[in-house]
Amino acid sequence: MANLAVELCGVKFKNPVIGASGTVGFGREFNELYDLSEVGGISTKGMTLEARLGNPVPRIAESTSVILNAVGLQNPGVEHFIKCDLPFLREKGVVIIANVAGKTLEDYGAICAKLDGLVDMVELNISCPNVKAGGMAFGIKPESINEVTRVSKKSLNKTPLIVKLSPNVESIAINAKSAEDGGADCVSLVNTFTGMIIDIERRRPIIANNTGGVSGAGIKPIAVRMVYEASKAVKIPVIGMGGIMTGEDAIEFMMAGAKAVQVGTANFADPYAMPRIAKEMNLWLDNHGVKAVKDIVGTVTLN
Amino acid sequence: MKDILSTVKDNREIAENIYMITLTLPEKPQTLHGGQFVNLATGDSSLLLRRPLGVCKSAGNDLSLCYQVKGKGTKKLTEAKYGDKLKVLLPLGNYFDLSEYKSVAVIGGGVGVFPLIATLHDNEDKDLYSYIGFRNKGAVCLLDEFKSCKKLTVTTDDGSYGEKGNAVQAFFKDGPNVDAIISCGPPVMLKALKRELQERGIKTPCFVSLEERMGCGIGACLVCVCKTADGANARVCKDGPVFDINKVEL
Repeated sequence: MANLAVELCGVKFKNPVIGASGTVGFGREFNELYDLSEVGGISTKGMTLEARLGNPVPRIAESTSVILNAVGLQNPGVEHFIKCDLPFLREKGVVIIANVAGKTLEDYGAICAKLDGLVDMVELNISCPNVKAGGMAFGIKPESINEVTRVSKKSLNKTPLIVKLSPNVESIAINAKSAEDGGADCVSLVNTFTGMIIDIERRRPIIANNTGGVSGAGIKPIAVRMVYEASKAVKIPVIGMGGIMTGEDAIEFMMAGAKAVQVGTANFADPYAMPRIAKEMNLWLDNHGVKAVKDIVGTVTLN
Repeated sequence: MKDILSTVKDNREIAENIYMITLTLPEKPQTLHGGQFVNLATGDSSLLLRRPLGVCKSAGNDLSLCYQVKGKGTKKLTEAKYGDKLKVLLPLGNYFDLSEYKSVAVIGGGVGVFPLIATLHDNEDKDLYSYIGFRNKGAVCLLDEFKSCKKLTVTTDDGSYGEKGNAVQAFFKDGPNVDAIISCGPPVMLKALKRELQERGIKTPCFVSLEERMGCGIGACLVCVCKTADGANARVCKDGPVFDINKVEL
């Protein structure tokens, strides 16, 4: 039995598997399938100051080994989360990461202030490709990443800050570094790749938003490369994600430099994906005589 | 709710491009009501989404689902053969609760007919009046499942079988005096039903089962929403798929 525990920014995770934002809601539904405490952490549905209804439907489509979504940050608002969902998650003993988005710098500052000290970590969504003013505006250019990170960090005196990076950028290394310079305690990547799927019979995109975010097994090699580049560029911990379906996929991300991983789309293919992935990681480590998962972080050697 | 490894018992084309797959579950599901659905893996691991399919028949450990071959996933499903193993997450969603009613009109169109069949079986003690519409004769199927109905009217768009027209027209033409109406079918049909009920001032309780492209199927991802009458969003998979027709925008 390998030791799966990891620690990021002083926050202790039972294992490195974290539910990716937008795929696990606020944890209640998956808790009907298994005890949420079996996973390391949950990154909540992206929250805004006020409730949002999101995009029109259809919001999802599929292509070989990937899915495309454009939910558009539907969420009940941060106050609702604090009142109704936070107590439930606290009871489950799972690391709570509040994923937040805003339209303006002030929004980010205000939402972080509301969550400071209440959750274990805050994850800045500055890379949602599906909402015009929902973060992506901040997530492309290094200068704006730096700025939104600084503003958010100012509102967080107790809670560590993760900045979730978009892959739809010129240099992931430079962007990771600008998050670090802005005061981020951690970066997570990758968010989804902007994409489109066309129904050729109707000659129209399948989802109502036309474009959306691509995720799932098919994006994994690109995500692994970006996690590698980001982890070389910064000293703060990196959380890796992008198409993790198995424990071996998760091990790959950790070898590339991730200290923990997030699992998203796999939850749709297999509702028990997260506890399964944790078990598979343990099995791989045992089979390879590795005593602790943290010992494999960044161990890839280039050819 | 549980994800179960089922065994394919049968999988056959029952009408043009329509298949019925019967799965044997290792254990009898605790509850599986008409209107509920399951999330079925296609057997192709490159397809990451399950296929949400309404329960058509459930007897003992066997579960039958009908699907129209539309894309890659349903095409793949047609290849499932006896003995194959497929993961199935069930039971999902709410159901048609007809416990308060004695007589019920059942209005189904196209593939929307199939999820209504399990509801008929759940409510054989009631007076059931069914109106089901298909595109043409080639699409007509499973009429035997309506044997328990007091009345069955079949329509086709082109008149090649039964009455020419659609199920909603047939229902209003017949105008049975019922305690409740249930319906499942294409959005245009449900819209027509709602409009006709409103225009005629009919206050009979009416419940519809909605369809939407889904992600998780359990209410977590907020992909499959519909608008409610009060302007909010409801999750088709978790708050539905069955809704009071007056409480959703169609």
